[in-house]
Amino acid sequence: MKKKRILCVPLDPVHDVGIKIIRNALATRGFDTELLSPDLPMEEIVRRAAAGSYDDILVSRTLGYGVAELLGRLVDLLDASGVRDRSRVILGGKAITSELAAELGFDRGFDEHSHVEDIVAFIEGKSSRNHVAVVEKKKPDITAGYSYGVHDRRIETALDEIVEKLLRWSEGKSSPGVQRARLRQEMFSDASGSRKEALLDEYLSLSDGVIVDAFRRNVMPKGVRNVSQGELQALREMLKERSAFRPVTLRHSGDRPLIFKFLGSGCPVMDLVHAKVCERWGVDGFLLINPSWEARYEGLLEGALTHQNDGTVTSAENIRLVRELLEPSTLLTVRAHRGLNTPETVVLASHGGADMTKIDLVYGSLGAGTDPARLAVDGVEAIRLAARFKMPFDIPGNDELSGVPAWKTLAGLLINVHLGTRLGARPILKPLFCYGPHIVINGLMRQTFVDYNAAKIRALRAIVDCPIWTGEPIAFMTQTEDRVQSAAATSFHAALGTALKVDAMTVASTDEAYSRGPICIASRIDSLQGIHEAARFMGMAGFAPTAAADSMTADMHAKIADVLDQVKSAPDLPAAITAGLLGDREDGAYPGTFGKGTVG
Amino acid sequence: MDGLDVETYLVCGSEREGKDLALRLGHELNLGEVDIMFCEFDGYGVRVRLRKYIHRPGDPYHWLKGPGERDQLA
Repeated sequence: MKKKRILCVPLDPVHDVGIKIIRNALATRGFDTELLSPDLPMEEIVRRAAAGSYDDILVSRTLGYGVAELLGRLVDLLDASGVRDRSRVILGGKAITSELAAELGFDRGFDEHSHVEDIVAFIEGKSSRNHVAVVEKKKPDITAGYSYGVHDRRIETALDEIVEKLLRWSEGKSSPGVQRARLRQEMFSDASGSRKEALLDEYLSLSDGVIVDAFRRNVMPKGVRNVSQGELQALREMLKERSAFRPVTLRHSGDRPLIFKFLGSGCPVMDLVHAKVCERWGVDGFLLINPSWEARYEGLLEGALTHQNDGTVTSAENIRLVRELLEPSTLLTVRAHRGLNTPETVVLASHGGADMTKIDLVYGSLGAGTDPARLAVDGVEAIRLAARFKMPFDIPGNDELSGVPAWKTLAGLLINVHLGTRLGARPILKPLFCYGPHIVINGLMRQTFVDYNAAKIRALRAIVDCPIWTGEPIAFMTQTEDRVQSAAATSFHAALGTALKVDAMTVASTDEAYSRGPICIASRIDSLQGIHEAARFMGMAGFAPTAAADSMTADMHAKIADVLDQVKSAPDLPAAITAGLLGDREDGAYPGTFGKGTVG
Repeated sequence: MDGLDVETYLVCGSEREGKDLALRLGHELNLGEVDIMFCEFDGYGVRVRLRKYIHRPGDPYHWLKGPGERDQLA
């Protein structure tokens, strides 16, 4: 069979790399190809095209100045010389859109996003294949394979004693939060109508007036309203119409780290469309973040609810709605780590189908306002529930954002891990990749952001065999309101996390530093694009922390051990928190007061 | 100085529809002819960047004129 003859024309002063790649691909496939040099006069190009009797003429153009006029002239000359009667003329390149090619009368146009295979397939008369990097996504278990063994004997002894004292202290104690969690479980079971009403009466007797008003008088807290059935129906239909799922990955190789984003716009409908778009751009999971006011009230609302402020209302219906409409492979965790509803939130999260939750007895007191004794009682119950529901829980190290030194924060995380392990749960360490106040004041990242972040991970790994999920989000306090800077900061930190082989990361949008309004979806995509590029750039390569990282790691490890020894000497964990052993007023940490005096 | 970019995400059913919506947005913003610099469809909509050139190289530059002339133009 006669070989198809193809003329390749770089219609450009210099750029011919793209068309050379295409020419090579065509030559490999057996086509008879000829490549002209760049910057030939148009008349010369037309003369060569007319003389050669080609089947197809490929024309590439990179520079966009006056491109329509230039290409229009080329088409006219090719028409006038009779070339168009026997050859197809195909246009491609950075300056080209398929619309422009069609408008000018070319047989086909390929833009800068087209793949070489698409062009070859067109010339061969075949349909182009799907080039999307499709991956089969399965729901992962972040905690799989970890033993939770403590490698450092001195630290293990301290943790054993701290946890033992805490469990002894909490024995026989209860709180309205613990009681409500038990009532909720019964309410979710098959209780009869009259029994359910009695349970609700009891539940509301343990709740604040704002919650009672919502249940009994349908008067919602300010700005909160029910999502209408019409809105829910329209949302479901919209998502169904676009349900052909195209999973992609943000990783260049391997299956870690998993990438998480926050959801908490205030509205579950907005959360869901953001989540669905982010799934398409490669996100593996989401954290449902509740409003800060929720932490101050005893009791949680009911129903699919939206409000026009930061944080999405915690209700079984909201959680269930989000879970139902996410892809089955996408992970969902629900924040329960602070406030007066910690164990109840774990019950709702499980009932709503969430995969994980978030509990932290130390940060919830020191950085998030809850009385240490109350959170200790509630936290122990919440962890027991997480173990029973087989929900791993993560422990955020956000105390650092108050100014608490990293070693005190990490000591707090380790206490939570040891408690969780003791109670049969599967905890996840969540140290920060941040530029926190203590780091800034003491110049710990003056030389590089790499060393100190790496030291935290190395120190934790030297102490315990536990999954690590850096957050929350990575690059906290390094991002600015500039979009490019923010995406770059997130991407560099994501690359560092990948190189350090962490299990998961929470990542910000490029709106991270903007605090005067909700996050927009375009900003979420921007940071994901950046992370994707960083992963591609790094591949299997790593970072090389300086020698300072070694001394920082050793120092961190030793100071964590010292802090845990001090906590061990305190009467119990709430007393240690109140005494400032895990962060004091000078560090910017204050034991919370919500729920003070409610432990009985 | 030279260009005005509009970056957003448009909910739509295809890249073609996304581009049409983007061009319509440019007209509704009274930008006249705009270029679509970037447009990627993900199934739910397009991440898109539109550009309107205000001053191309070689144009009479508004920002080089004196304050009086600028006011007149405004």
